[in-house]
Amino acid sequence: MGILTKDVERHPCEVEVSHCFDSLHAHVKFTDGAVIWPGDEVIVKGPEIMAPYGHVVREQREAVIFRASKLERLWTRLTGDFEFMELCEFSFSEEVKL
Amino acid sequence: MNAHTPKTHASGATHTADATTVEEGLAIQEEQAKFDSDTATAVAMQNTLLTPRFYTTDFDELDAVDVTPVREDWDLLIAQMQADPNKGHFRKTDDWDHVDWDGMEPGLRKEFIDFLISSCTAEFSGCVLYKEMKRRGSNKDITQLFQLMARDEARHAGFINDALREAGVAVNLGFLTQKKKYTYFRPKFIYYATYLSEKIGYARYITIFRHLEAHPEHRFHPIFKWFREWCNDEFSHGEAFALLMKTDPKLTSGVNAYWIKFFLTAVYATMYVRDHQRPAFHAALGVDPDWYAHEVFTKTSKLSQQIFPLTLDIDHPRWQRELVALQKANADLALAVQRKQTLKKWGAQARAARAFVSLLLIPSKANKVPASTRMEPVY
Repeated sequence: MGILTKDVERHPCEVEVSHCFDSLHAHVKFTDGAVIWPGDEVIVKGPEIMAPYGHVVREQREAVIFRASKLERLWTRLTGDFEFMELCEFSFSEEVKL
Repeated sequence: MNAHTPKTHASGATHTADATTVEEGLAIQEEQAKFDSDTATAVAMQNTLLTPRFYTTDFDELDAVDVTPVREDWDLLIAQMQADPNKGHFRKTDDWDHVDWDGMEPGLRKEFIDFLISSCTAEFSGCVLYKEMKRRGSNKDITQLFQLMARDEARHAGFINDALREAGVAVNLGFLTQKKKYTYFRPKFIYYATYLSEKIGYARYITIFRHLEAHPEHRFHPIFKWFREWCNDEFSHGEAFALLMKTDPKLTSGVNAYWIKFFLTAVYATMYVRDHQRPAFHAALGVDPDWYAHEVFTKTSKLSQQIFPLTLDIDHPRWQRELVALQKANADLALAVQRKQTLKKWGAQARAARAFVSLLLIPSKANKVPASTRMEPVY
């Protein structure tokens, strides 16, 4: 990883999507223990994973991690905190008018 | 939607909310899915892609948290969450009245669906965040807490999703195969933001619930009947974050007191602005958004006295005036952006910034934090 250059890595992962009444969730786990750092981007390869209603789908996939450059990682660490409003739930989208 | 007769399973459960094992839950869902695919083909569903946010944090710092100073309260709270008093609650019962979606006034329908989708996204994002913290951490106390909170959030999301499906809105979880960027929060900012988010969430839900108890004629959708148990989950999540903050007095003193004031102001102001963007929704509930905001701020301030060293002076003469100014500037800003009027946009941004700074500069009220942190939901 350079100061300004991005690395691209491929890692195996397990995707779990639950589209159920008692749990609506979707998680990605890197099965080789790869770790995500601030500013990294992740995309799971392959077709969209669609769990029909009432189903839990588990799939082994490959994910591509676009590693942030050192500078970008530092920047995200310094500025990420200011996106905290996204953690707050106000029950409304950001659209000013519908 | 659940008009078919569900098959009864091993423990007698006919609903996933009652299932005691994963296998049983899956079997019930399987049954439901057979029925469901028929419905889905018959009704053209509007597709909505959920777009949660992804975060990382300093997981080493999180692992280093030692709950020993609050062990007694901590164990009680975890035991209560493990006992899962709300298991089986988030299901449709006979109380789930028929919803006349087609007869709903279009403006209200639009705002209400927006309310459901954004609530669902918020619950979902909480679930993603908590699960990530559970997975990356190695401190048993911490991972256990986040696992339990992820369970609740996923359950709430599932319940709202069900209400959305009834309205003909299908939630699409296909976001995983789209590129997503991970942002970063320091653990203490996660504590402040999620603590406030959970407590203000409780205050918001319970205020609506109590209002509709007194004015049932305004209850235009049955989901509001579930708000009390729902917000009790939010309440206990907030309790957990309060205890986490209690483990380290530095988190709520010194320069961090200024951060807390900033968070409180930003959260209250954002809530005020966003609520005022949804007039039809509040009119249908029979709620004046200004009254509602003040109610919620009062309750949240009272609750946050359990851990925060200060409360905002929401009765200060400048408070309401600047909130109104901020809301006006925000609406003008959106209009200027839409009409591509750069000068007006800058003007509105400057007015919004001024109003926010003015809110921030209102002197806060000092608060002496009680020795015992734990509270019970009493509103």
